[in-house]
Amino acid sequence: MLNNIFIKPIIALFTFILIFACSKDEDPEPAHEEEVISLVTLEVTKVGSSETIKYNFEVEGHDHDDHGEEDDDDDHDDHEGEHMEIELEANSSYNVSMLIYNDTDPNNIENITLEIIEEVDEHQVFYAITDELSGFSIASASDDTLDSNGKPLYIKTTWTTTGETSGDVVAYLIHEPTSKTGSTRTDFGGATDFEIEFEVHVE
Amino acid sequence: MNILSFIAKLFNLNSENCKCCNKQKTAAGVSILAASFCFCQECDLEFEGQILDLHDNSPISQAAIQVIDSDQIVYSDFDGFFKLKNQCSEKINLKISHLNCEDIFQELNLNKSVFKKFFLEHHIEFLNEVIVEDSNIRELSSSAKAYLLSDLQKDIYSGRGLAKALEQISGVNILTTGNGISKPMIHGMFGSRVGIINDGVQIENQQWGQDHAPNIDQNAFEEIRLVKGAGVLKYSGDTPGGVVVLENKLPLINDSLYGKSILNGFTNGRGLNIISSWTKSYSNGNYFKAQGTIKRNGDFSAPNYLLSNTGTNENNISFSMGKNKILSQWKTNFSFFSQEIGILRSSHVGNTNDLVYAIELARPTIIEPFDNKVNPPKQVNKHHTASIQYSTRNSSNGKLNAKYSWQRNNRKEHDVRRGDLKNKPALDLTLNTHDLLSNYQWEKSNWSLDSGVFFQIQDNYSNPDTGTRRLIPDYLKTELGTYFTASFIPSNNLGLAFGLRFGHQNNHVKKYYKNKRWKEKNYQEKLGSFVIKEVLSQKLVEQRLIFNNLSLNTGVKFSILERLKLGLNLFHTERAPDIAEMFSDGLHHSLATIEYGNPFLKSETTQKFVLNFEKDIGNFKFNFSPHYTNGQNYIIIEPSGIEYSIRGAFPVWEYRAVGSAIRGFDFDFSIDLNKNFRLRSSSSWIEGFERKSKTPLINIPAFTSNNNIQFSIPKFKSFSIALSNKITLNQNQFPNHNFETSVVENGTRLNKLVDISTSPKGYHLFGAEFHWGPYAFFSDKIRLSLIFDNILNSSYRNYLNRLRFYADEMGRNIMLQIKINH
Repeated sequence: MLNNIFIKPIIALFTFILIFACSKDEDPEPAHEEEVISLVTLEVTKVGSSETIKYNFEVEGHDHDDHGEEDDDDDHDDHEGEHMEIELEANSSYNVSMLIYNDTDPNNIENITLEIIEEVDEHQVFYAITDELSGFSIASASDDTLDSNGKPLYIKTTWTTTGETSGDVVAYLIHEPTSKTGSTRTDFGGATDFEIEFEVHVE
Repeated sequence: MNILSFIAKLFNLNSENCKCCNKQKTAAGVSILAASFCFCQECDLEFEGQILDLHDNSPISQAAIQVIDSDQIVYSDFDGFFKLKNQCSEKINLKISHLNCEDIFQELNLNKSVFKKFFLEHHIEFLNEVIVEDSNIRELSSSAKAYLLSDLQKDIYSGRGLAKALEQISGVNILTTGNGISKPMIHGMFGSRVGIINDGVQIENQQWGQDHAPNIDQNAFEEIRLVKGAGVLKYSGDTPGGVVVLENKLPLINDSLYGKSILNGFTNGRGLNIISSWTKSYSNGNYFKAQGTIKRNGDFSAPNYLLSNTGTNENNISFSMGKNKILSQWKTNFSFFSQEIGILRSSHVGNTNDLVYAIELARPTIIEPFDNKVNPPKQVNKHHTASIQYSTRNSSNGKLNAKYSWQRNNRKEHDVRRGDLKNKPALDLTLNTHDLLSNYQWEKSNWSLDSGVFFQIQDNYSNPDTGTRRLIPDYLKTELGTYFTASFIPSNNLGLAFGLRFGHQNNHVKKYYKNKRWKEKNYQEKLGSFVIKEVLSQKLVEQRLIFNNLSLNTGVKFSILERLKLGLNLFHTERAPDIAEMFSDGLHHSLATIEYGNPFLKSETTQKFVLNFEKDIGNFKFNFSPHYTNGQNYIIIEPSGIEYSIRGAFPVWEYRAVGSAIRGFDFDFSIDLNKNFRLRSSSSWIEGFERKSKTPLINIPAFTSNNNIQFSIPKFKSFSIALSNKITLNQNQFPNHNFETSVVENGTRLNKLVDISTSPKGYHLFGAEFHWGPYAFFSDKIRLSLIFDNILNSSYRNYLNRLRFYADEMGRNIMLQIKINH
């Protein structure tokens, strides 16, 4: 009698487990990295000119199958060596737009810029200019996005040059900053969504 | 009842030589007529028997053997024998009873004189012992020391999680992530190296993670015990750290309804816990048990600031029902654990430079007003358990046991995200585990054997819908194994134990590798043949990894002096690497680190030696226990470089296997100065290092000492006070994983040291407990306690807290506890 009451359900369960176990044959779907920022583009246009130069900042060694090989040569340890250089003319103004993408899936490139503009209250772009780059300034452009307190996002900026100089600029996108104004990165708090560095040459 | 018997009842049909065949009740009245109605038959059969104890076959005297429906009662003699004379050839119903025994009812078909043996449980206390033993509450091992939490300890920590309750035991530390998440660490080992056994089955809840607290409500259990070292091969063989065994006593076999309720209210976090459990038992052995826990708290606070987003919500419920009989038991159980834990908001950093700022600031970047709400970053964990168990014992003291258990664990980790992803978890793992166990135990007075087989299927599903890469791949793990344990206690002065466990494990893993990582690590050579698909610059690799693990332990315990016992235990364990250790792949926001598994890891083997010098009687008791663990292929995670991306710099942590050595000692003592005054102390010291390079291992606790004075005032019997002090010294032995990062601050480029290695300063904490009661409260008993933790409101940081870079530990907490025993 015990056999009937206990052994049978155990056999049944056991069979169930085996069936359950055998059913895991399908391949897992590849996960899409939805929130990843993999490409930041600075579109630099000299005021009065129609020529726009695009500077692409990509995840280091980020490989699309089409140009995967060339990224392999990057030396990850040489931090200074990987700077992008942006050439600007002296005594000029430039309109700069920042565009932010997720291009991990080449067939479905996401423009995250729109999302950031939509959530402007929770985001802040900050350009940290090193002291060597004297006479160079970055200001919010007239078509920049303002948050609910009227503070500019700095997604569209006007860059002004004076004399010849060169130095580093670091641009940050800060998520949920504790302050929307500041003169150095720590003033903003929050978490860094991206941190791109480039060298500005004013000639 | 037939007519004959009815008539027989009317008349007294009893006569000396001819017994009426019908069952008779006591009847009044005498009639001469009656004799003519009586159908007579031969009633000269003799029924003899012996009443014996079920366990040791010793005779039971003075047991009453009653023929139901007749007046006949005889009692067993000194040797357990009895004789029923003048029985008719018919069916008789016997009732055998003995003081404090459950009655046995038996039907017998008599057609000749027979002799029969009956087995009784000697008395109810012993029966309860048997039942207790059945739930393995007696001794986990005859040689390794098991530490049991007292009822008071369990109650005091009822609202603070299992790990914090276990921290009372020397050699046990807690590895925490903020204040809400804590997991037990035994002799410097945690996670997969510590087994948590829920009613005979190890809980499976992604225990590999440093920030994964055990998904179990300790309040659902009556007994919490801990063995340091893999001393319980019956339950697990791959836990060199130790095992925590959570069990319930089986209810008594009588009609009763009992339970307990605890209400905790505490100031820090403005929390409230309600814990209640009820058991209804019946004299036929049936029982039903229900237990529930509700925990709520808002933001905790450090002495100088609030720890924003550290609230917790927890709801747990469990039911069990079963039947206890002398010869068989069955039991079924269901439990559901659900928890939402907020993680300190400031600990979510974007990259290494954010981490540097956080370390420099030395206080959380985000401090908001008190809130009960739990926002991201947070964890939402759910754990279901269902099991059914049957056991039967035979007259030769053997017990056969079979159990099936199912566990489903779902872990969701929510990060701070943007847009549509805000409410989507960044990690969503579902782990289904089925265990089938069967064992046979055989016991005699001084030895016992236990052997069994086990089978486990575990399925992990990592939801791809999270919008992040899988931290853990999908896998199916099957394990088939067997164990054998023996213990021999020839005398009170000597105990021997031996155990062996073998498991064959098959891991079927399907994992996506990013092409970039694939190339960097040159995986093509070794894993190229396992690629089954290529999509979106990722390769899907299918692997079957097989591990055969043999674990052994042996121990001896003997008296070297009259009051001093010496125990020596050796444990050899083999542990298959975790799926996480082999395949993890992802970013940890709390330390801004990228974690990678190592697919070529082999089974980790450890040999652990534990000595116990124990004096457990008298006014001065102590236990001194040095231990040494030697590890081969000991799996650790360590920084291996820095990855730069447009998000910034991230240190990369990779798993690797090293030769390791961990040694230390635990020392506990207690002194009863007089009846009202007791001093207790437990301390432990430990160090661990890589054998080759002598580099210290990470996350090894510093020297800690818990000291406590308990006293009561003879005049007030129901009032007691305990003052406690906890000392944690500086941890000076830590591996140096510091690195430099380049930041631009106020227009200047600087190289900054990222100090993620240095341990915080040691600290002293003081506490006090006041207990009133128990007092009679209607038909119940009530106890009140007032407990002060960190009474001086000291600011300190704990080396074993992963979030120690961001904030201080909790400040003062005052807890009021009301406990009612129903």
